Amino acid sequence: MSNRSMITVIALLLLCSLMLVNSQFQARRLLIEHERTQSRLKELETEWDQLQYEQSTLAKHSRIDGIARTSLSMSPPGPGRTQYMTAGSK
Amino acid sequence: MRAPTRKAAARGLAFSASPVLAVQLPVWRSRFALFLLFAAFAAIAVRAFWLQAVSTKFLQKKGEVNYAHNEELPAVRGKIIDRNGEVMASSLPAKAIAVTTGEFKPSDEQLRRLAQLMDMSTQDVKKKLESGRNFVYLRRQVDEKVAEQIVALDIPGIQTRNEYKRFYPVGHVAAHVLGFTNVEDQGQEGIERAEQKSLGGVTGSRRVIKDRLGRIVEDVGYIREPKDGRDLTLSIDGKIQYIAFTELQKAVEQNHAKAGGIVVLDVKTGEVLAMANMPTYNPNVRQGLTGAQLRNRAMTDIYEPGSTMKPFTVALALEKGMVTPNTMLDTPGKLTIGPATIGDSHPHAGSLSVTQIIQQSSNVGTVRMALRCEPREMWDMFTSVGFGQVPRTGFPGEVAGRLRPYKSWRPIEQATMSYGLGISASLIQVAHAYMIFARNGEMIPLSFQKITQPPLTQRVISPRTAQQMREMMEKVVGPGGTGPLAQVRGYRVAGKTGTAHKLEGGRYVNKYVASFVGFAPVSNPRIIIAVMLDEPSAGKHFGGQVAAPVFSNVAANALRAMNVAPDASVDNVIIPPQMVTESM
Repeated sequence: MSNRSMITVIALLLLCSLMLVNSQFQARRLLIEHERTQSRLKELETEWDQLQYEQSTLAKHSRIDGIARTSLSMSPPGPGRTQYMTAGSK
Repeated sequence: MRAPTRKAAARGLAFSASPVLAVQLPVWRSRFALFLLFAAFAAIAVRAFWLQAVSTKFLQKKGEVNYAHNEELPAVRGKIIDRNGEVMASSLPAKAIAVTTGEFKPSDEQLRRLAQLMDMSTQDVKKKLESGRNFVYLRRQVDEKVAEQIVALDIPGIQTRNEYKRFYPVGHVAAHVLGFTNVEDQGQEGIERAEQKSLGGVTGSRRVIKDRLGRIVEDVGYIREPKDGRDLTLSIDGKIQYIAFTELQKAVEQNHAKAGGIVVLDVKTGEVLAMANMPTYNPNVRQGLTGAQLRNRAMTDIYEPGSTMKPFTVALALEKGMVTPNTMLDTPGKLTIGPATIGDSHPHAGSLSVTQIIQQSSNVGTVRMALRCEPREMWDMFTSVGFGQVPRTGFPGEVAGRLRPYKSWRPIEQATMSYGLGISASLIQVAHAYMIFARNGEMIPLSFQKITQPPLTQRVISPRTAQQMREMMEKVVGPGGTGPLAQVRGYRVAGKTGTAHKLEGGRYVNKYVASFVGFAPVSNPRIIIAVMLDEPSAGKHFGGQVAAPVFSNVAANALRAMNVAPDASVDNVIIPPQMVTESM
């Protein structure tokens, strides 16, 4: 093998090894970022569960019913005071 | 340049001629030194071989311990949501407070604060520490904010661990349907237990490589993939559940009843829209619960349904063509079968039509029809509507009730069974059985989960018989019937009252089970409601007096909540001054 091609191969080898180091580094960096995003996802999911739970707690029928009756002094409308409408009627 | 010959300059003596070199040593000494050197190298080589080739695995493992870690991947239990998407049970993160007993040395003040934050007494904390174990849980499922405060106390030896706590936003209202989980988040009762497999998550773990700072730099792979629990959509409608629960609670309190149950079914799909029991409990706070509170009576307790069974006997007679709704039957006040006598609680005018027998709940009239049927036919009828059969909803503790094989029926037993004595069932079974009247003669399976596909149907009686039964049962709530208090403004309703003596130690005693089972609107039934009150003891004990009003209130509100158009005018309710009392 000529010296020339030898040098080319060595240069390629060096380049490859440097690129390998670089890609390893990139992979780790991305992995760390991925981990961070994953834990953020988990956090947000928990928060979503929490919010859904709070919504259900605040919107539960016994609470609405209680507030409507006591602090707003409302009462359910009887059928006599209800106007029923069907689709298509005027 | 010529190299100078080396000489011992002082003596002018050549090096090679030095007398020291002339000393003759024995040959074995050099050999021996050589051998030692060789042996040392050989030992190193063997050792190297040993490390490299033989114990590699072990050493690699040792090394890996330093950089690779197993990481636990927690899984969350699935949520339970009602048919409208409202959360009924949800797992939220919480902390377990634990101590390593050897390191735990709090000051008195710290201990007092700690106990206070955990809502325990200092004695309780000390007692837990005396267990002799190295690691002790002081309290589990502590709120995260409280846990932060505990950590802030900075007591040596205190640890926190992540876990989940189950929360039930609606509390008492749906306690028996949902059930609850234990501290390990495993279902113990109700749906939580029935659906443990799909609700429960599977904790996973994976292997990772961490760097010096504890950051994950490489994900080696899963040892076990974590699986979050599946969310479950129930058939329960939160609104109807609330309506049913509050009305039942009110009735139980007003009538000083020992217990009560209510079931609301969707006629079109077989879904259970609501199921509530009294007494109940708050699934969020489970200290000091009694068995009576925990019992899901509607599913697990059997009772003698009494007169609510009569429509099935009459339907059989109609189906066989023995009678029509207008056939007149002799109904003397008493009827003697063998040694026993069956009577009606109020005298009828000699004869009643089949419609009147249902309307006024006549035992004698029902028995007359029953005795003209074969035991086998009655047994087939009862079985095909689900009596004596496990409802197969997958609910824990569901019961089949009691329906003895027809071969062993004596005539008196056949007679009493026709009006609901000597046969027992759970409330949900009775409600389910009324499907045949509400659904034009078909049975469909029950479901506690929201369903999207039309259910499988099974015909039991002809649409014509079902239609006739609906008309008769509508008369029950009319003037002259046993249950006018079940009427609903704006809707036509139909149903049947039931009042039965309770059996205690094999004898009937003067304690009652009052019930009402009905459906609405009659023109196109949408819901079946079954109400049962155990031992009402505030003066009234008839199904038409104590259970029918519950039906009426629940039906009125539930139909409105479901946007069902009224099928009657709003002044349709006629409450007669004197109610017809029902026979027991």
